[in-house]
Parts: sequence; structure tokens; C-alpha cells
Amino acid sequence: MSRPGPASTRSDFSHVWSIYLWIGVGVAVLVFVVVGFAIVRYRAKEGREPSRLAERNSVEIGVATLIAAIVAFLVFTTFHTEAKEDDSSRPDAVKIDVDAFQWGWKFTYPGQGVTVVGDSDDEPNFAVPAGRTISFALTSSDVIHAFWIPGQRFKKDAIPGRTNRFDMEFDGDGREQGLCSEYCGLRHSKMRFGVWVLSDSSYERWLAAHR
Amino acid sequence: MAGGAPVAVEVERGAGLERGLAWLVATDHKKTAAKIAVVSLFFFLLSGLLALTMRAELAQPGLQFVSDHTYDELFSMHGSGMIYLFLTPAALALGLYLVPLQIGASQIAAPRLALFGFWIYLIGGVSMYSGFLTDNGAGSATWTATIPLSDSAGTPGVGMDLWVIGVGLATLGSLLIAITILFTILRLRAPAMTMLRMPVFSWTMLATTFTVVAAFPVLIGAMCLLLAERHIGGIFTGSTGSIAYQHIFWFYGHPVVYVMFFPFVGAVGETVATFARKRFFGYRALVVSLLFFTALSMAVWGHHMFITGAVKNQYYALTSTMLAIPAGIEYLDLIGTMIGGALVFRAPMLFALGFILQFLIGGLTGIIVASPPLDYHVNGSYFIVAHFHYTLFAGSLFGLLAGLHYWFPKATGAMLRERLAKASFWVLVLGANLTFFPMFFLGYEGMPRRVADYEPRFGDLNLLSTIGAGVIAVGILMVLGNMVLSVRRRIPAGNDPWGAQTLEWWTTSPPPLRNFTSLPPIRSYAPLQDLREAGEEREERAEVAA
Repeated sequence: MSRPGPASTRSDFSHVWSIYLWIGVGVAVLVFVVVGFAIVRYRAKEGREPSRLAERNSVEIGVATLIAAIVAFLVFTTFHTEAKEDDSSRPDAVKIDVDAFQWGWKFTYPGQGVTVVGDSDDEPNFAVPAGRTISFALTSSDVIHAFWIPGQRFKKDAIPGRTNRFDMEFDGDGREQGLCSEYCGLRHSKMRFGVWVLSDSSYERWLAAHR
Repeated sequence: MAGGAPVAVEVERGAGLERGLAWLVATDHKKTAAKIAVVSLFFFLLSGLLALTMRAELAQPGLQFVSDHTYDELFSMHGSGMIYLFLTPAALALGLYLVPLQIGASQIAAPRLALFGFWIYLIGGVSMYSGFLTDNGAGSATWTATIPLSDSAGTPGVGMDLWVIGVGLATLGSLLIAITILFTILRLRAPAMTMLRMPVFSWTMLATTFTVVAAFPVLIGAMCLLLAERHIGGIFTGSTGSIAYQHIFWFYGHPVVYVMFFPFVGAVGETVATFARKRFFGYRALVVSLLFFTALSMAVWGHHMFITGAVKNQYYALTSTMLAIPAGIEYLDLIGTMIGGALVFRAPMLFALGFILQFLIGGLTGIIVASPPLDYHVNGSYFIVAHFHYTLFAGSLFGLLAGLHYWFPKATGAMLRERLAKASFWVLVLGANLTFFPMFFLGYEGMPRRVADYEPRFGDLNLLSTIGAGVIAVGILMVLGNMVLSVRRRIPAGNDPWGAQTLEWWTTSPPPLRNFTSLPPIRSYAPLQDLREAGEEREERAEVAA
């Protein structure tokens, strides 16, 4: 089955984020303005009789309906993107197995004879070709860790006895910082890794050098 | 030594001791609530001190004051202390004190059970904190104790066992206290006090205690299983075991969020109505939304597990986002109460406004993290820390302070110093936002939570946050100082210093042992407002007649 859009988790995130953020900012501004208005307009003063109105169900239903509509729109946006991210079925993807442990990472390229290992004293760096889909198979050897690449706006748990599969697509070139984002014991804060995003030819050279 | 003076002192001391003992074993709901309040305040200060130590360490990158392991104990115990030992019991103490007074009851159902709950909670708290005295230190597997990190290999030591036992006991204590409140609401209302005449706060306590009864036994069970796992093993094995633990934990762990929210919505609702000089707007809609909220809150726990890949994310995204609907109704009703009122900005009202506007930021960012594609980035980061501190600190704690400033004259018979209270409000607003707003940016830019050390580029925002924590500490000291000053040099409050609307303001301050010597007619959720309006109408008729 072909994918409905690009695999980049970063662009997926940005799309959903901008919708949620601006609706959220809009609602926040609205509430601040209305509360501010109430504070100024309905301040107690000589001769002000408080209203005895205690209920207006049409307003309640109207507001509930409006919020329900916003919720429906947000959930629709989320579901649409989630469906894309759940679909990890590209046959031509570069496969990388990731094994997290206290407190380091092991990256294996199946069928390539390449493995990169490093821990909190010696941060490992692995390489990916830019613009291609990378299929990760993530697991852990001891406790639960999480594989987070902030630049990709994506993370997934590494759970012992379970393999989580997901795709990423790296744009441009350079190094992305990755880290563990699930508290996993003493040296959790030092459990980091790097990703070299390389052109196809540099990537092949990198593989050859690490065989 | 000659003379009678020393003897007199002896007698006085003896009487004081006797009074103290009598207070400790007293089963009156107000005294049990006061005991819970005092102990939860103690744990709040202790857990707050841990947070200040953490902020001191985080002021600059690198390790300055504490080791990695000490830091792990600090954040684990800070979170555990605040949730299990402070906000939950403090919310219940507020209910235990006020619900009987609001519904015209002379006592609670099962007063000795509530007192027993208090002692169990206290023992749990002491157990949890005594971990600091053991070789490996206190529990250090976060406030959620996720398997397998929390098993005997992942977190060895007696301190972690004391944590597990402490959480189980404190939660059992809270459960027992909640049960007495729930049964008081269901069984002991004054004759004319129908369910739909209960004040807003009592309704929020009904929703709260209902949630407690449904969710807390699950955590108690989880702690028993965790203890067995640590000593016998074979319970949470493999990936299914660790996922099962998370399901069980969050089945408690999400509803408890509303236990720490509903009561403060109620406290803020009462405060806003009183200081708007207007009865609460949209009472029946609020009741419906609370029930909807309660039901929904039991069906959203999986959103804590979006990145495990082991739950149906769409389902939990849907239910979690739907929480915006009852939350929106509550906001509409709070603001609707202000519109058309004659607003008086006394200290409780300021704290209530602080709750409304600051919780909003926590609530709206909650909608953001309810979307899995967004959670995939911010989960486990400082964004989450910012989000839930906006709900729990800038929200719930401000709501608690609104309630505390509002009901303090009722419970003590003395008014708080108004100017000091207002000053403490502004200091706390400054401190809360300075501390927690930078964390949104830190998390978004890639700083994970639960780390003692971080990349140098995060230094400036962390320093800002640490300064904010110091400001918060000053604000809290001002609130405490105000309370001490106000009970020492008393300005008498009288029965109803605010011109309030509900039954607790009908009786004396503090209320007598059996709460009431008389009750006014109860024809709505605001009986004192009914009396006031009836009086005004009589006056108007008299004027017209004249």
C-alpha cells in the first residue's frame, strides 16, 4: 500500500502543532479578554445591582456544541496524521535495529554487517541516508527507555521483550542529537546518541568504513 | 522551692497536654479535617523543599549540589509527596471540613473511619519519607514506579519498599476519608437539602469522592502486587507485565488528576459567586458536566502510554480531547457567574481569578498532549512538566489558596490580613509563571525531564525557572506568615464576613461541635442568597407601599 504523504515525522508534527497551537492561543486570548472585560465592566460600584440571572441553557448548549465541533476537528486532524505514522510498510526502507540498555544504545544494520554501540561514557553515532525512509525496530535489554530525536519531533518507548516499529525520514545533512527520554536509572541524563544525516554516497562510505 | 506558682504551671501544662491528646483522638469532622490539613501542609513544605533543592541544582548545567542518585530521589519524592501526601489529602480535608456544613449535617458518616483514614495516611507518609534514612535512600523510581525499573534489581533497597508501602497506605487512608465524605453526601443531608440544592463545592466533592472510590483501590492493589514482585517476583514479567503495570497504575493515575482538580473548581465557584454578589451561573449544567467529566476521566488513562506502542492511541486521543467539553462548560459557568455581577476583588477572589486564567494554560496544553503526533515529541520532556505544573500548581494550588483564604475566617473565626494576602497572591503569580512558563520552551527544544544535568544551551531558561522557584518560596512563606499572624492577633470574623450564600456561613465561626443550632429554609443551592433577596423584595414592597 502506498503512503498518503511524506514520511517525515517533523512535517507531520508541524502540521498538527500549528493547528492545535493557534486554536489554543485563540481560545486563551478569548477567555483572557472576556474575563478582563468582566473585571472592568462588572466591578462593584455605587448603584450596581447584580443580575439575578442564574441559568441560560441555550448558551450552555451553544458553547458545548461549539467546543464539540472544535474537538471533532482536532481529533480528525490527529487521526489523519496518526494513520500515516502508524503505517510502516515501505519495502525499500533502510532498516535499523535499535537496542537500548542501561545506559547506552546499540544500532544494527541487518544484512549489512554493521553495528554501532556506545554508552554514557562514549556516545554512539549512527548514520542514515538523507531523504530515504528509515524503518526502525526498537527494543530494550533491561528497563524501559525511550528513543527521542527532538529535531525529528518524534520518540518511541524501548520496552524489554517488545519490538516497536516506526519510520522516519531525515532531511538535509548534518548531525541530529538523540537521547533517552524515559527515566531509566542513574545515568539516564547521559544516555545520548547522534545521527549523521548523509548523502547516499557518503552513507555508503560510512557503512563500508564500519563493516 | 516554695510557693504555689510552679504547681500552677504544672497544672496548665497538664491541661494543655490533655487538650492536645483530646484533639488527636477527636472524631469531629472539623478536627479530623484540621489534622489532615496540618499533616498535608507539613508534607507540602517538605516536598516543596525537595523542589527548591532540585531547582538549585538545575540553575546551571553540570552537577553542583547533589549527585545523580540524590537527584533521582528528589524528583521521585517531590512528585510522590505532592500527589499522594499533599494535594489529594488536602483536597479531601477541604471536603471533610465543609461538606457537612454545606449540606446542613451535624456530623459525618463513620467519623471514626475518617480518623482511622487520617492515621493510615500519616503512617504512609512517614513510611515514604523515612526512606531517606536508609542506605540506598528513598524511593527513586519516579512517582509512577514503572516496571521493570521499580523491581528489586532496578531499584534495590529498603527505601523503595518503604515507598511502595507508603503509597499503598496513604492511598488507603485517602480512600477511607473519601468514603466517609461520599456517604455523608448520600445519607446525611438536612431534610430539605435535595441533591439539586447542594452547593457547587459539595457537588464537586461528590464527583471527587466517586472518582476516588472507583480508582484508588486499583492503586492499592497495584502497590501490593509491586511489593510482591519485589520480594517474590513473577508477577509483572516480560513486556506484557510491564505494560499491564502501566495500565493498572494509570487507571488510578489519571483519575487522581481530577481528584486534585474538581474540589478546587468547587472552591473557586463558591468564591466567584460570593464576590460577584450573584448566585452561581448554570448550576444544573455544571452538575451534568461534572458527571460527564467524572465518567470520561475514567476512560482516558491510555494517553499516558501513547509512545509505548501498546495501546489504541486513537481511542484515548478521542476521549482525552473530549474532556474539553465539560471543562469548557465549567469555564462558561465560572465566567457567566462574573458577568452581570458586582465584583469585589478581595484576596480569595484574586486567587480564584488566578486559578481560572492559569489553569487555562494547563488545560489548553493538555489538549495539545492529548494528540499522539504532538505527544510523540513532547512526552517525557519539560513541556509535560510545564503542562502539569500549570494544572496542579498554577491551577489547583491557586484554587486551594482561594478556598483557604475564603474559608479561613469560618474555620478559625479570624480574618486574614487582606493586604498581605493580596501581596502574596501577586508574588505567587509572578513566581509560578516565571518558574513554569520557560519549561514549555525547554521541553519543546529538547530538554528531557528527570535529569540533574543538561545541555549548556538550556542554561538561561533554567536559571529563570530557578529564580521563579525562589519567588514561589517567598510567596508561600507570606501566606503562612499571614495565617500565623491572623490567628495570633485576631480580627474577629463573625458568622458571615463575605456576604456568602451557603449554609456554612449561617453558623458561628468556628462552627460548634454539632455544626448548627438552627437552619434557615433551604429552597435552592444558595439559601442565604434566597434570604437576602427575599429581604430586598420585602424592602421594595414596603417602599412601594409607603
